[in-house]
Amino acid sequence: MVAGARQGTPGDAVVGVVPRLVLEPASVAEAAEALGALARDRLAVTFVGGRTEIELGPPPATLDAVVRTGRLGRLVEHAPSDQIATVEAGMPLAELQRLLAPHHQRLALDPPRAELATLGGVVASNAFGPRRHRFGGPRDVVIGMTFVRADGTPAKGGGKVVKNVAGFDVPRLLVGSLGTLALITTVTVRLHPLPEAERCVLFAGLGPAEAQELVAQAKVAQLEPSSVAALTSGGALDIAFRFEGFAPGTAEQCGRLLSLAGKLRRSAELLDDGAACGFWARHDAVRTGGSLRVKIATPPAALVSIASGPLQRMLRSALSSGAAVLYPTVGIAFASGDPTSAEEASRAVAEARAALAALGGSLVLAAAPPAVRALADVWGPPPPSLAIMRRLKDELDPDHRLSPGRFVGGI
Amino acid sequence: MSSSSAAAGGDLVRRMAAVVGRAQCISDPCGLLVYECDGLTHGRTRPGLVVLPGSTEEVVEVVKLAREAGLPIVPRGAGTGLSGGARPVPGCIVVGLSRMNRILAVDLENGAARVQPGVTNLDVSRAVASAGFYYAPDPSSQSVCTIGGNVAENSGGAHCLKYGFTVNHVLAARVVLDGGEVVDLGGSAPDTPGYDLLAVLVGSEGMLGIVTEVTLRLLRKPEATRTFFATFPSTDEAGAAVSGIIAAGILPAAIEMMDRLAIVAAKAATGLDWPDVGAALLMDADGPLAEVEHVAKRAVEIARAAGALEIRIPRDEAERQLMWKGRKSAFAAVGRISPNYMVEDGVIPRSEIARVLRDIEALAREARLRVANVFHAGDGNLHPLVLYDARVPGEEERAAWVGREILRLCVRYGGSITGEHGVGAEKVEAMADMFGEADLDTMSRVRCAFDGLARFNPGKVFPTPRLCGERPGPYVPHPAEISGEVERW
Repeated sequence: MVAGARQGTPGDAVVGVVPRLVLEPASVAEAAEALGALARDRLAVTFVGGRTEIELGPPPATLDAVVRTGRLGRLVEHAPSDQIATVEAGMPLAELQRLLAPHHQRLALDPPRAELATLGGVVASNAFGPRRHRFGGPRDVVIGMTFVRADGTPAKGGGKVVKNVAGFDVPRLLVGSLGTLALITTVTVRLHPLPEAERCVLFAGLGPAEAQELVAQAKVAQLEPSSVAALTSGGALDIAFRFEGFAPGTAEQCGRLLSLAGKLRRSAELLDDGAACGFWARHDAVRTGGSLRVKIATPPAALVSIASGPLQRMLRSALSSGAAVLYPTVGIAFASGDPTSAEEASRAVAEARAALAALGGSLVLAAAPPAVRALADVWGPPPPSLAIMRRLKDELDPDHRLSPGRFVGGI
Repeated sequence: MSSSSAAAGGDLVRRMAAVVGRAQCISDPCGLLVYECDGLTHGRTRPGLVVLPGSTEEVVEVVKLAREAGLPIVPRGAGTGLSGGARPVPGCIVVGLSRMNRILAVDLENGAARVQPGVTNLDVSRAVASAGFYYAPDPSSQSVCTIGGNVAENSGGAHCLKYGFTVNHVLAARVVLDGGEVVDLGGSAPDTPGYDLLAVLVGSEGMLGIVTEVTLRLLRKPEATRTFFATFPSTDEAGAAVSGIIAAGILPAAIEMMDRLAIVAAKAATGLDWPDVGAALLMDADGPLAEVEHVAKRAVEIARAAGALEIRIPRDEAERQLMWKGRKSAFAAVGRISPNYMVEDGVIPRSEIARVLRDIEALAREARLRVANVFHAGDGNLHPLVLYDARVPGEEERAAWVGREILRLCVRYGGSITGEHGVGAEKVEAMADMFGEADLDTMSRVRCAFDGLARFNPGKVFPTPRLCGERPGPYVPHPAEISGEVERW
């Protein structure tokens, strides 16, 4: 048995597979030692953070050990005047935000469940929220990483300055790799100032075509919201525009959006803080609710047509109390609910994938009950570059011991 | 490598000419001269052959022929790179992509343009300007440098402080791999399932494959831009102004600093009526009008409080463009005040600017040379220009020494050996100052996943090249050696 390991319990399961061993290294050095020991014993391992995205991916093909990052929770460095921070992988996102706030800074990533979601997990699973519209996703704010390779070798990539083109961008490659290439041990991120003011304007009850027109017109008007998000239960859409910045700027932009609403003959309201919180709470509930959650990606302008087609049918027939969040400027939607039946759900997934394939889009099951997983592939058709991805896996994890079977194409 | 030192044989030239056309196949010594270097003009190497394919299909055939002949390939855009990233290796085939210069599709609804790699950076913005869109990364060479080169180097520019680098603006790429396979990475929709290969392709300095199509993100032009030019007694006060502006929660679109010598040079080249001062800042704020007005006003207040001598606000767009011309021409302008100069490119944490500049000054004194500083102050990207006279024995060596020491300084302060010019051939040794054996080995493995024979752009980025499958430790022959495809040198 690997030193320092405890017995795995059902609470440690990864998509239903219980590991024999659980390790919780308390430092980056200990993490490297743990991976070295697992390599010597040729044990398969999955890395676990706050478990918020644990259901993404099929169950591991083999699972001997889980390495939990919870004790890698230190803030290694925060340089407020350089607007960067280096954080150990196990620190929850919300805790980082609390440490940054007194310096009037934040990490501009806002996936749901920030109290649980760890920095390492957010990065490894490419988790994001509505602010992706303005600030991008994890790949756009990560500037450096340290990681431990499958054989226990510690290594790093990138650095701690935002502008840096020295060497291949290994950190960005590890973003979204779901722990199948290396264990991320620290993450260095670019920070942004906390805005002085935040305001939301809500358009309630729009049809898909109206929503599309509104989003396009806001762009023509050169408005610069930090988030654009729509909520739907299968019928009309409620769209919120969030503006962040200095008070005069946000006030003026809200004013212009409201007058644009007048021109388009739509009713819109400036939300007070309570109402805005209510909207984003509804948003979070959709992102985290239900036993079946799907992520849909399309070219941005096609998203609303998907919403009124296959997504609407999925919400109405395949999900009970289903709902969806759309980020129409990004081209991403998340739908969630409980499947009416596994057959209905897999049919809806297949139908949506057929429509998406024609647009170059994709549908991924972010969470699904075993019965749905049995009928529908988690990742969908593999991308044309799968052969390179397989070779990359062979290069960095030659024995296929890091979360085997969890990634695209069986990687 | 086999036949690596000789010029390409007549048979290969004939076969290449059959693919791309005789006129697009350069093998005579005079013609090859042009391709001996890129924007980094020392360390010239003559290629064996230059081919200028006109389509993805032609690139595929060229790559296959090169592979059969066992020759390395060096991709090349406009040759404006400043780190020798397009420098040939002996006997190689240079694949120049300048003929593939068409904009294939513009999709304003989705904010995307699909272009060939030989399109210049500025032509992308020009093509969509009338619709109110632009392509954000703006390297100083944007009127001539190509998108393919931008992808290879992950180019930045003055405005990447707010808008990011090439990697943040490439949505998809079509790549020809070593075996002639054509692969699409990314796509018109975000988040293609699988590894983010596109993220590592951008900035891979032409070592993973040849990019033959790129889909770029187009941005809607901001409603308003406010610019100001501020002068300071020294770089200390200018540095304090930059720190103050950032600390106030302002994210300028660009904030550039010039020191005394750079200002003198820019004036000499452009005839601008800038005063003789210790330092100057040029700042752009852009976005919705009310926000920008507010931000610009606060930034000016902060600059005054930090000790600005004078603040100039351009009266109109023409005057604004002139100010930027002064800044953008500062590199070349240094030629007016010195017979020769070397351009460095390093990054430091922004907060260390004043200290690093003093250290650079000390280095220059020690080497009895002058250093002019022009840089992207918002992100700590320094461009020290080391002035020397090649006719004076020893000066060139001393200038090179200053350059190397500046990079060491950047690493020591926690920065980087390159912010936007790339490692290329020039900085391979400096890579070992910044990265350890395991770090470089990881990058090398990534390269092997794309290009198992390491034939694309050899001799760049890595201080100690390694064959794929080769691991530190006891010698094990690489499969390609056994099959006779490559030789161990």
